[in-house]
Parts: sequence; C-alpha cells; structure tokens
Amino acid sequence: MTVPDLAELNAQIAAFEAELAQVASARDAQSARDRFLGRKNSVIASWMQIVAGAPPEQKKVIGRFANDLKKAIEARWAQFVAEDRFSRPPAPTLDVTLPGRQPRLGHRHPLTLVRDRMEAIFTRMGFSVVEGPEVEDEWHCFDALNMPAEHPARDMQDTLYLATPVRGESGRSDDLRTLLRTHTSAVQIRYMEAHQPPVRIVAPGRVYRRDDLDLTHSPAFGQMEALVVGEGISLAHLKGTLLAFAREMFSESARVRFRPSFFPYTEPSAEIDISCWRCDGRGCQMCKQTGWIELGGCGMVHPAVFEAVGYDAERYTGFAFGIGIERVAILRHQVQDIRLFFENDLRFLEQFPH
Amino acid sequence: MKLLISWVRDFVDVSAPADELAASLALRGFEVASIEPMGVGDAVIDFEVTANRPDCLSVLGLAREIATAYDLPMREPSDRPDARIQLAAVPAGESEHVSVTIDDDELCPRYTAAVAELRDAVSPDWMTRRLQASGIRPISACVDVTNYVLMEMGHPMHAFDLDGLAGRALRIRRARLGERVTTLDGVERKLDQDMLVIADSDRPQAIAGVMGSSTSEVTTATRTVVFESAYFKASSIRRTSKKLGLRSEASFRFERGADINLPVAALQRATALMTEIGAGRVIGPLVDRYPRRQGPRRLRLRRAHLGRLLGMAVPESEVVRILRSLGMSVASTGDGWEVIVPTFRVDVLREIDLVEEVGRHYGFDKLEPAFPAMDVPATPPDPRISRDQLVRRVLTAGGLSEAVTFGFIEAAAAEPFAPEGRVNELVGLSNPLSAKFDTLRPSLLPGLLDAVARNRRHGRRDVGLFEIGSRFTTGAGETGGVALAWTGAAVPNHWSGGSREVDFFDVKGAAEAVCDALAGSARFRPSTRAFLVPGQTAEVVVAGSPVGVVGELTAAVAEQSGAPPQDKVYVAEMDLGLLAAVRTERQEWVQPLPRHPFVVRDASLIVSDALPAEIIRGTIQASGTSGAAPLVGVEFFDRYTGPGVPAGSVSIAVRLTFQAPDRTLTDSDVQQAFDTILAALVREHGARQR
Repeated sequence: MTVPDLAELNAQIAAFEAELAQVASARDAQSARDRFLGRKNSVIASWMQIVAGAPPEQKKVIGRFANDLKKAIEARWAQFVAEDRFSRPPAPTLDVTLPGRQPRLGHRHPLTLVRDRMEAIFTRMGFSVVEGPEVEDEWHCFDALNMPAEHPARDMQDTLYLATPVRGESGRSDDLRTLLRTHTSAVQIRYMEAHQPPVRIVAPGRVYRRDDLDLTHSPAFGQMEALVVGEGISLAHLKGTLLAFAREMFSESARVRFRPSFFPYTEPSAEIDISCWRCDGRGCQMCKQTGWIELGGCGMVHPAVFEAVGYDAERYTGFAFGIGIERVAILRHQVQDIRLFFENDLRFLEQFPH
Repeated sequence: MKLLISWVRDFVDVSAPADELAASLALRGFEVASIEPMGVGDAVIDFEVTANRPDCLSVLGLAREIATAYDLPMREPSDRPDARIQLAAVPAGESEHVSVTIDDDELCPRYTAAVAELRDAVSPDWMTRRLQASGIRPISACVDVTNYVLMEMGHPMHAFDLDGLAGRALRIRRARLGERVTTLDGVERKLDQDMLVIADSDRPQAIAGVMGSSTSEVTTATRTVVFESAYFKASSIRRTSKKLGLRSEASFRFERGADINLPVAALQRATALMTEIGAGRVIGPLVDRYPRRQGPRRLRLRRAHLGRLLGMAVPESEVVRILRSLGMSVASTGDGWEVIVPTFRVDVLREIDLVEEVGRHYGFDKLEPAFPAMDVPATPPDPRISRDQLVRRVLTAGGLSEAVTFGFIEAAAAEPFAPEGRVNELVGLSNPLSAKFDTLRPSLLPGLLDAVARNRRHGRRDVGLFEIGSRFTTGAGETGGVALAWTGAAVPNHWSGGSREVDFFDVKGAAEAVCDALAGSARFRPSTRAFLVPGQTAEVVVAGSPVGVVGELTAAVAEQSGAPPQDKVYVAEMDLGLLAAVRTERQEWVQPLPRHPFVVRDASLIVSDALPAEIIRGTIQASGTSGAAPLVGVEFFDRYTGPGVPAGSVSIAVRLTFQAPDRTLTDSDVQQAFDTILAALVREHGARQR
C-alpha cells in the first residue's frame, strides 16, 4: 500500500478544519471531533487499525503518520475548545434584592377560613356538612324547635320578619318564608324531616337577629350548629365531641366545662366553656381572669323536637350545639371589633392567608 | 335578680363567701352578672335568671338552689310561732269591705284579696336596705311590704286604695272596647278586649298583672287598702305587656309563669310584715277566688333513661336528695321514681326536665367525655359547599379578595339592582333595625360596591373583591350567587413596568374562569342593565340559559355607592345555582397525546368592525372541519384599527392550528384547508386578506 505522506496529513487536518468551520453548536463540534478522534469508526481509529494490519516494514512509517495526525488533530481541538466559541456572553449582574413579579393572589375572608377549618375538623369526626335557606318559616325556625307562638323564648332571639313572604325553593304555594332565620337549627329540622336517624351533621350558615351593630354585636353573623341523633347518644358524648373539637381548634390541653342554661330545643341545656388556651386556665386578659372562654350553647335534643319531626323520642336521643363563627374568629385572631369582618377593608383582609 | 346574701340566710344557713356562692350557682344554671360587696360579710350577687325559672326571681327560689347545692336544710315560710319567715294565719272567707268577682277564670284562674287599715309608719331600716340592695326604691310602708314580698317570695302583689274603688268592688274581666286607663307611670293606655283588667264597678283600676291605675294608687292619704295576690295566665300577660309596650316587675314574672299556690302565702306574708313593722292590720278574712283547683304534676323518672341520657350513673341517694331538696316529693318505683312537682316549678313538665335537675345539681363536671360510635357512613356533603370552595379558589387565584357583607341593605341601594327594574320584587323587612338595613339584597353588588367605596376612601387604589352569598327577590326567592367588583390596576405595579388598568375583559375573564370551573364554557352576548354602561354589558349564557351579567358600572350607580366619580368599576354577578344546574358531566379520562406534529398558519384579515369575533370564529370552525387538514385551534392574537385599515373596518390576526391524529400533515393538506377557510371568510363576511 501507499505510505501516507505529509500531503495526506495536511489534507486530513484541512478536512477537520473545514468541519470545525461549519459547526453551529457545541454539539456539532463534539460530533466533528468524534468523527476524527473517536474511539470507534473515526479517522484516527481507522488509521490505527491500518497500522495494526500493515506489513512489518510499513508499520513504523504508518504508525508515525497516524501518531502525528492524532497529535495535530488533538492540538487543533484543544485550541478550538479554548476559543469557547459557543458559550453565552457573560450575564449581567442582577440586583437580586429587587421585588419579584408575584402573581396577585386574593385573600379568603377570615370567616371563611374559620368556617372551613371547623368544617374540616367535624368532617373528620364523621359529620356531614349541610346547608339550608336563610329565609325561613315559623315552623322550621321556632315551632318545631319547641318554641310555639307566645313562647317567651321567641323574644330571646329577636327576629327580623319579611314584609312580603318569599316562596321557598320547593316552589310549592304553601312553602312561604316569612322571616330571616335566627339560628341554623332550622336546617337541622329540615334535615331530620328528610332523613331517618342516625344523624351526624353540622349546619354552617348566616343567621340574623334584631341586634344593633356595635363593637361586639352584629345583626347578621355566621353560626355552625351540630346535631347527632342515634340510639344511646348521651351528654357524655356531647362533652367528648366538643373536647375533641376544642383540642384541635384551640389547644391540645383544652378542657371543656358545661354551665347549665336554658334553650327551648335542648334539655338539659348548657353553655360551653373552653379552658383559656392562652393561659391554660390560670386567668389572663383574654379570659377576663376567669380561666374560661365561652364558646356557645349546647344540650340534649328536647324530645318535643323529635316529636315535631316524627322521630321516636323514646328510642332516639341526641345532642346539639351551636358555635358562632365570628366568635371563634374573634378569639383566634384577637379581633377587637366585630364590624371589621363586614367592612371588608383590604388592610384587614390581607392580614389573612390566601 | 339581685340577691342579698344576708337575706337568703333567713332561709338557709349558708356560710360560703359571696364569690364561692356565685361560682357554685353559676355551675348550676345561674349566670352571675356581678358581685357587689355590702359592708362586712355581706354582698349582692346579681344573677341572670333564665326565662324558664321564674321561681328563682326571688330570695326563696334561689335559697332552694343554694340549699340543694350545699346539702343544707331549708327554712320554709310558716305560720308557726317559731318560724323565721312568718306567715300570718288569716282565715279565708268573704269580706264585708270589698266584693271580688272573677268574670274570666281562663285568664285569671285565681284571685285572692285582703283589706287592711293603714297606720302611719315608715319602713324600718332593715327592710329599706334589703329593698335597695335588690334594686327597688322604697316608697311607703304599704308599698314596700308588697315589694318585699315580691322579692322574697317571688309573687307580685298590688295594693289598691279602697276609697278609689267605685262600689268597693273588684271585678276581673276583659277590657271593653275603647276603655282607657292611666297607669301609675302617668301614661294613658288604650285597652282592647284581649286585655285582662281589674275593674271596680265603673272602670278598670289596673291592667291585670302589668300595672295599676293612678285613680286607685296608694298615697300618703290612703287609709284603707285592698291587697291583691293573684295568678294570671302567662300568655295573656305577655301579649298585653307586649302590645302596650309596658313592662313591670310584675309582668316580667307573670309572663314567665307564677305559682298558682303562692297567692295566699304571699298575702299571709304581707299581713305578717304589716303587723311586724306597724304599718297596719288586715281587717276581715282573706278572699280566695279559685274556681278550678289544679293538682300538682306527677312525673315518672326512669333510672335507665336518666343514665342513658346523661351518659353517667348518678347514685340513687343523690337523685332522691336533689329532687327532694328542690321541693319535689319522690317515691321509689321498680324502675325509678315517681315525682310530684310543686307548682312553682313551671318549667318541670316531663321526664327530661327531671333529668336536667338531677344532672345539673349532681354536676356536669362529673361527666367522662366519650365519643359517639359511628355505625353508618356520613352522608355526602352538600354539593353547594364544594361548589363555593371551587369558586373561591378560582377568584382568589385571579387576584380578588373575598368580602362578606350583610344580607340586608337600604332600599335606595337595592333599587337599581331590582330584577329588570321591577322594584316591587324587592323583599322588605317589616321590622328593620333601621332604614339602612330595611331591604333584603336582590344582588350581591350593592354590598360589594359599598366595600369598594370604603377601600377607595381609605386611599386604596386597586380594589378587587368578590362575595358568595344569598340574594332575595319575590320572583326568584332565595338564590345563591357570586359577584365581583374590580377597579384600579389589573396587574400589580412592578418596577419593570407593565401595569394595566382593569377593563371589561378582566371581569369577563374572571366570569369565564368561574363558568369554566363549574359548568363548562360560557357564551357572552351583548345586553343591557340599568346599572351598567350600554355597550359595555354582556349577559353570561351557559348551555343556552342566562346565568349572569358582566359590565362596567354606570357613573351614577358608582357615585351612589360612594366611590370617587372618576373610578371605572367593572362588575360581574352570576347565579351559582343555575351554573351548577347546567353543569355538564366532565369527561374524566384523558385524551391521548398527539403523535403527529401540528402546523400553524396565521391569517391577517380586514373585516367590518361590527362583526363579532364569535361569528368569525364560528365561520372558521365550520369551514375548518371539512378541510384536508383538521383544524384544532383558533386564536385571535391581534386586533388593529388605524392607518392602513379603512374606517369601519378592523384588522384581525388569527392563528390557526392544524393537526391530524393519524398522520403528519403535508404542506398541500394544510394549504388546502387554509384556503377553504379563507374562502369561507371572504364569502360570508367579505373579509380581505391583508
């Protein structure tokens, strides 16, 4: 065979040069290099194969040629790499402390946050969340709840009446709503009318009372009422359920206290006190040095309520409780003025998570 | 009820200090409003007595609770000579000084009276001190005695000046139409036939159980009085008091329920006190009209029921002790007890009421918390809850914050939002708190606009709020909706620039996002609303039904809400019930990803500026389905009017995307499809390619 000469060497180097001149990216360059210097099927690799198979007298000459070619190509490659033709221009230095472009996220209302949290806790305890209408009739708001007409308790929750009745969602001509509900207990009646025991529900929603708006009162507020009905439901179950709620909502060391009270729809009835989670019951400013925080009302469902919805009051017992959503929000977030919840000042709303 | 501790010690030897006593009763159902020390070792505790316990609007009633709480014996009032609380043993009979007739024994089941001659006397210090501590102003010895009995035994009495009674007669009857009486507070009251009065032979001398008349008022000149101690039907007193807007210590007790067996004892107590303080003496017998005697209530209390309801076992001895100490008679039966309830316990009507009595005195603190077992799965949650949560997520992600406003607003704010201007469909309140809150909101917008205006007044430039809540009209009843109101910058200011003011398409976008999340895609068609700027108003249509509206608020309505007049406020409101109802079942399985490349072609067209984009899109889509290359996307990416575009026309740029699921499209496929679409645009809309 013909022994390669200097012209052949220069031709190969020129070929490599031509390829490098054409490459448009670092990847192209790498493949050009590999075509000449790669371990398999490259120009150098094939010369090495030729060296191995050459007759002994030519081996030395061809070997030197291959070696020279390899060194020359490698040198040219090293030079090419050093030129760093494809790296990006140096990046300018940013002031990384400048504000980023945040997506603008709105804020959920604090009353929603509290309600969602309460719903989540009760849902995990096996409660279903039930809603009902805000305009109600006397039956669901009062009569069925053991508050017949003339009952003094109807005064306890001074009611706002509609000037013109509004048709209910059933659309029936006798389904006329005449008042704004004073409690979500009305939802419990509707639920019991439609379902047989066992019952385990919470009914959150807005309720209305004829109260003037001031620092601590609002004519409209949110309430969450719970109802559990079954065989053998007791006051001890009520206490345990409230304790579980209080421990998750307020403090792991919370204790529950019942102060006997009066509601027409429960008997026995009690006010719910939770041990103050700020001072753990020792007495502080939040609990007015009493060690206890009043949360709402509760009791065992009055048999007259079961009779009103057609439940067997001998077979079933049940408990109910009601907690004000604003009340919980006020306590959790230390809101001094209930009106802040309804003014919707963004300076207030934006203090709550998204 | 203000309780003077030294007074209650007449009935029960309780030694506990005031704060301990207060705390103890607070855990038995008597909330404490205040404790006020009174000299050494004495105090006044102000208890909030619940409406079901009129018996505890007295020293005697609270004494029973204290005796039960501390397991102490009670000293009951008695005519025994050694009794601490003396009753005078006045014989019953007919009086020669006054005649008493009950005409209406339904409203007045019992009426007792006694005549007394007065002597000049002043009430002793101990009596006036006790009255004052109870919040009662001493007046005269005679009146003080009735008030003392009121506070001590809880029974309201009244004293008439016998000389003021025509015919020396007391007739308990309903008022006659047109009768009037001037009550002790100097106000002339118009009576009606539902009201019970105590009349003499001519005219009413007292509104029964509520207030006496000035014509028979006991004064310093009074020589002879008739004491009334009666029992009136609670609901009648309640109605009368409410109708007249007149409340008194007497009506407060009667309307909650008095003790039908107390009138005689109260009179006997008053008689004893008159003698004791030298204020006078009773002449003649005590007249007791009690036509239909009422027996005490008998109730059964089952041991098993008691334990089942409370969730704890109360020792039998405690059950009996508590009930007896509260004044009940208790006899054991096989499965529990038979209980005779005294008539002063108007709240104990059935077995459950006895359970409460035992429970509250045994102590709710002894309850071991338990958790009710679940034996059936929870019913699925109300779909409205997850619906509202989804809407909230979409809108807060869009930069809007949630507001909560009242369900009632003032009529003037509601009127512009009445459905199609029909203000007669607004729902008013018959007893509003004030004119500011006299109408139920027909729309969430007035409340939101009020909140926007408030934020603007505080100097907030960009305000974006939404609310989810109920709206009310006589036509549609109560409906759930979502509304949003947006003014200021659509995109927050950033140092790199790029801020932009909110416009129609921002609120439209938010509305589209809500519809998309709930119901699938929405259409928008030009519409009008009185509160929205014409030409900037669209009705939201989902599945062919209108579900809401978007647009720019008119300057007049914006200004009425109190926002600065130059503000441009964009609003939207949609009915969530309707949106959820048209919800199309979303296909849940995924589409396979395309395996063949897509091809994009842009077209720049000049069309009439009156031609809605939706029509152009419709034409493109209709002609794109038949072409050689399937059309998979239409995007309007530019819209231009100005130099180079004739007046009345607009240049729009549309990007068309073609893609076939089963092959790679060729240039000629795409060109053919593109040409078909362009031909349709030329044919149907006279479009020109630019």
